[in-house]
Amino acid sequence: MIGRPGSTLWLLHHELRLSLRRFRRPRGARTRGPVLTWVFTLALPVLLTASIGLPVGLGLRGVDIQPTPLAAVLAAFGLLAVFTLTLSQTLSSAVDALYERADLDLLFSSPLDPRAVMTVRFLGVAATVFWIFGYFVTGPIVVIAAFGHPAWLASLVVLFAIALAAAGVGLLLAAGLFRVLGPRRTRTLAQVLAALIGAAFFLIAQARNILGGAATQTAWQQVMDFASTPSLQVPGLDWPLRALLGEPLPLLTAVAVGAGIFWGASLLLGPRFAADAAAAAGAGRGVSRRAPTTIRPFAVGAYAATVRKELRLLLRDPALISQVLLRVLYILPLGFLLLRNAGQGANYLLPGGAAGLSLLAGQVAGSLAWITISAEDAPDLLASAPAPISLVRRGKLVASSLPLAVLLAPFLLPLLVISPLTGLAAIAGCAATTLSAGLINIWWQKPAKRADFRTRHRASWFVTWSEFLVALFIAAATGLLAAGLWWLAWLPAILAGGALLALRRSDARIAEALRAAS
Amino acid sequence: MTDALALSGLTKTFGAKRAVDDLSLTVRSGTLYALLGPNGAGKTTTLRMVAGLLKPDGGAISVFGVDVLADPAAAKRLIAWAPDEPMLYDRLNPLEYLEFVAGLWGVEAKAARAKAEELLKWLGLWENRGERCEGFSRGMKQKTALAGALIHDPKLLILDEPLTGLDAGVARQVKDLLQERVRGGATVILTTHILEVAERMAERIGIIQSGKLVAEGTLDELRANRGEAGATLEDIFLELTAPEGEAA
Repeated sequence: MIGRPGSTLWLLHHELRLSLRRFRRPRGARTRGPVLTWVFTLALPVLLTASIGLPVGLGLRGVDIQPTPLAAVLAAFGLLAVFTLTLSQTLSSAVDALYERADLDLLFSSPLDPRAVMTVRFLGVAATVFWIFGYFVTGPIVVIAAFGHPAWLASLVVLFAIALAAAGVGLLLAAGLFRVLGPRRTRTLAQVLAALIGAAFFLIAQARNILGGAATQTAWQQVMDFASTPSLQVPGLDWPLRALLGEPLPLLTAVAVGAGIFWGASLLLGPRFAADAAAAAGAGRGVSRRAPTTIRPFAVGAYAATVRKELRLLLRDPALISQVLLRVLYILPLGFLLLRNAGQGANYLLPGGAAGLSLLAGQVAGSLAWITISAEDAPDLLASAPAPISLVRRGKLVASSLPLAVLLAPFLLPLLVISPLTGLAAIAGCAATTLSAGLINIWWQKPAKRADFRTRHRASWFVTWSEFLVALFIAAATGLLAAGLWWLAWLPAILAGGALLALRRSDARIAEALRAAS
Repeated sequence: MTDALALSGLTKTFGAKRAVDDLSLTVRSGTLYALLGPNGAGKTTTLRMVAGLLKPDGGAISVFGVDVLADPAAAKRLIAWAPDEPMLYDRLNPLEYLEFVAGLWGVEAKAARAKAEELLKWLGLWENRGERCEGFSRGMKQKTALAGALIHDPKLLILDEPLTGLDAGVARQVKDLLQERVRGGATVILTTHILEVAERMAERIGIIQSGKLVAEGTLDELRANRGEAGATLEDIFLELTAPEGEAA
């Protein structure tokens, strides 16, 4: 540990260590050796550095970059976007710090200064958010800096200032929501907001697919016109860009604003947050509802009871819904694109769309199947029941597929009318990827907690890649089928079937693996 | 009369540790049987094997004459298993939970609904029927789990530490409920660390140590076997389970 035990530095190290462990090693994940862990951790930044940093760095070597009005507007909007994204993360992290970490009582009962405890916790939130974004951009920026633009390193400082400001605003927002909505609803709202903000950025990026080329062309033209409006040449609008490019005064201002917001929020919220944390711990997560006056008829049999129970649990978990929603939102632009191309008679584009839709449907189905199958809250209850486990699993599979069917129906049914072959291929492809994802999750299930949803991929790389590979084969078959090349579609279809056969596990082996895991 | 439970030569090993070692015992139908032992003695492992949650390495288990290993589904229809940590779903309310459990045990829907209402009223949870279990106290959770265990009218009720963490009022309610079930003809097997509960409630008591049954009988029989007429169950238990060299 760094620093004297009990010091702020020591506490900060403790805080960061816990935060990083949450990212690096989810519950249930096999512990890798330290070397392998570092290899995995550094692989993506190295890849980004090589694929983005090097070409951009080489391209900008010797080029004198002049701030233009358009660049200034883009930089301002870009930083605003980064701020919004970081804000969504800090809001979620602030609530996590209150709900998910049960160590506040321990810290407050120690002789440490409560204000120092809270300041360090707030700093931990900012540092975690900085780490999330810094992980992706540091490598490329360092390379660009090395190729003759050292001032670009200032963008990392700006990013940290944004993280500080977002942490301050996020914490103020969380405390305000606490007052207005109470602890439980704040948690839900924070998670849903985080998901929606992330999704909004994706949808904006996909505006061309959703609105069509002409509409986005017009929007872009409007941005250009806006940027070149003389009335826009207000002093200070280009400061974000100048801060990014390392000009001392704008950079110092950015740091001062970020640190000021953070410091102000810490000062204002320190004691209040401690009280909120205690309230959150005492409030539990109970939901009081009025007792129903009439009791709904009970489901008949294990299968129906399982489907009903799983649907209830899925719909009542806002955290999971928001996270699944993020994956679901990737389907929307593709669905719109497919329908638009079909409507415009652009048949050569349809097979790719059908294939993509199948692939994404498989990804969402995998998420939902994991929740219903691996994240079962009471596995012993199911194991001690006389109902055949295959029947219960079928119920879980159906429950996890139903939301996806409801989501895809508005795209697939009109597609079936506009372009029957593509529609049929897409329906078959989506059904196949959904089923295969469900089966793989049944065969390779591993007991887990719902809270581990975000890190489920890291708990089992094998299942993740198996799901993806099989879905890829099925998507290829779907695309070929939609293109009318059914004789070629057999090849990836056979490969998908073969992979599924290789992955298949008997009930006895599943039971054995579950016993070993528990 | 058929025994409610008959274990014969039951064995279970985890790695190098033999958790249950050639255990044989019988529990008569319509009785309340307490299985006692220090932590790690093999009580829970034994009961998990009876409930069909663990496969034994050797031996036989019979529940009302049904071979648990040969026909687990038939045996499970007769059994209810309630572990110390209630097997609940936080985001379901008690009624929805009971609906699911009744479905798993194949209880007819209309009968299950009526039974759920009766159980929840009896356990004082009827007013909470619309609330999700996540906000329940430990006692309320335990009672909901018990209602789940009783929804299919089991002939054999197996409870692992059913009174852990309960306040006096709820503990009394649970004890009354168990005795009422026994009077109704059901068989109850429970483990507990509260020896007074076993002393007062159980007709027969089994004590296991290191996976082996070291004593079994009524309290009087246990006293007689130790040759101490006035001994409490605690005295007998501590003497039987003391580590080697420490026995009195």
